[in-house]
Amino acid sequence: MFDWLKRGPGRNLRDPLADSTNYLSAYDKEGRLRRAQNVDLKKYRESAAAATNGPRPLSTAEKKAEDAMIAQENADGITDDEKAANALQRAQLRARGSAEEISLPRERSGDLRPYPMNEHFRSQSVLSEELREQIYQQVAVVGLGVDTVASSFGVDMRRVAAVVRLKTIEKQWVGQGKSLAKPYNDAVLAMLPKTEYSPTRVTPHESINDLPVHPRTRNQLFYPTSESRHFTREDAAKAFDPKLLPADKRIPLPVLVKLEKWNLENLPREERQRRLREDDLAERTAQLAKEEKKAAWEARTQRVVPGRRWDFKFQDISAEKVGKDGRGRDAVGYRYGMPHEDRKRGLIKIPTSVE
Amino acid sequence: MVLKLRLSRVSTPGGARRHHPCYNVVLAHARTARDSKPLEVLGTYNPIPELPVGAEPGARKQKEIKIDVSRARYWLGVGAQPSDTVWRLLSMIGLLEPRYLPTGPQTEKALKAVRFPTHKTAESSQNNGSVTKAIRAKQAKSQNVA
Repeated sequence: MFDWLKRGPGRNLRDPLADSTNYLSAYDKEGRLRRAQNVDLKKYRESAAAATNGPRPLSTAEKKAEDAMIAQENADGITDDEKAANALQRAQLRARGSAEEISLPRERSGDLRPYPMNEHFRSQSVLSEELREQIYQQVAVVGLGVDTVASSFGVDMRRVAAVVRLKTIEKQWVGQGKSLAKPYNDAVLAMLPKTEYSPTRVTPHESINDLPVHPRTRNQLFYPTSESRHFTREDAAKAFDPKLLPADKRIPLPVLVKLEKWNLENLPREERQRRLREDDLAERTAQLAKEEKKAAWEARTQRVVPGRRWDFKFQDISAEKVGKDGRGRDAVGYRYGMPHEDRKRGLIKIPTSVE
Repeated sequence: MVLKLRLSRVSTPGGARRHHPCYNVVLAHARTARDSKPLEVLGTYNPIPELPVGAEPGARKQKEIKIDVSRARYWLGVGAQPSDTVWRLLSMIGLLEPRYLPTGPQTEKALKAVRFPTHKTAESSQNNGSVTKAIRAKQAKSQNVA
């Protein structure tokens, strides 16, 4: 055991790497990080420590450039807020530049096994703090719909809703002066793989394969059908439950499928983004048009007359939908003398269309 | 024979039940039984106030009436007699003068005192079908000739 601790993989855990899960499966028997055979870990540790200790002192060239920028800003006469924002942006850029000198490659799926004996358990990413804040801002401050935010960030709708709820409570607690378990949160987040936020590109958080199991599909079903029939997923869904949507329409994030298809077509990034924007716009306009049409229909055919204790809602319908034989299926009103004739001789019940 | 616009009690979709009335608004001969087969079904009336689907918790309940407005207007025009209840309902959408007002029976004076917001004929309930248009055009033509 002491050998393992001093010379084996255990020596890495005495001084864990920042921004890494540090699972044992990420190291080989000699204690080398598998995914970083070509990276000098010592240098990486030093640079990471420098980054966490705050901004490093500026070199002379950088200092000159910074002074020139400030002079330029003063000449332009912009406000103090803008100046501060610009300075912060430059500092961040510099920090990123220095971090990129030595960086670890991303963890591969083989490195994400926290239990070395369990081959199949892979640690799943969690939302980073920044991404959660962005989601909250988009929903609660900007006022976008949960579905829009879900598809634009590649995060499941239920997860978006949960993030918004929890963030709301967090902000409420901060407002009330309650203490948060921040160190615990930070410690857990530091140990887990994370989905990071990037303003320029979308990293989908969810797996493209995930399909929630509907309770109606849990029971085993033997459904006899003709051999010649083309039995599709739509039919399968109907066999489980008449109201169940087919699997293709229950995909939580259809945008992921779209992105993958475009990826396989080798479309350039600009083209993919353009198509995504176009599809978004088309979807939104279609939704708006649908709502407008419904509102117009209601305004045309509905009247709500206020009463003393309740309202009377009048709906204008067409009485002529009963058809020539008075048996129209979608006619309004309860009908008279309408036995089901499906047991009568000579009435053919074979379906005339198959979906 | 007198034609009447009246309600006809029908069984609920799940079968007939006590205390769960459901009505068709029908056109029938006056002397036929209430629930017999009518000449025409004009709509339905649910007399139990219900919360609309997807309503907010504090919303008001609604009694739902579905009616073919242009058909009802036609039958009134050719002399069909509405029952009291149907008169009350149809007067709400301006097909008839209200027969009874909150102040009592309808008189000239009472009608002048009360102005229902819905008493004006709603634009939507005006018949603008092709037949009506043709009749109007014909009337206009004959007036021009005279």
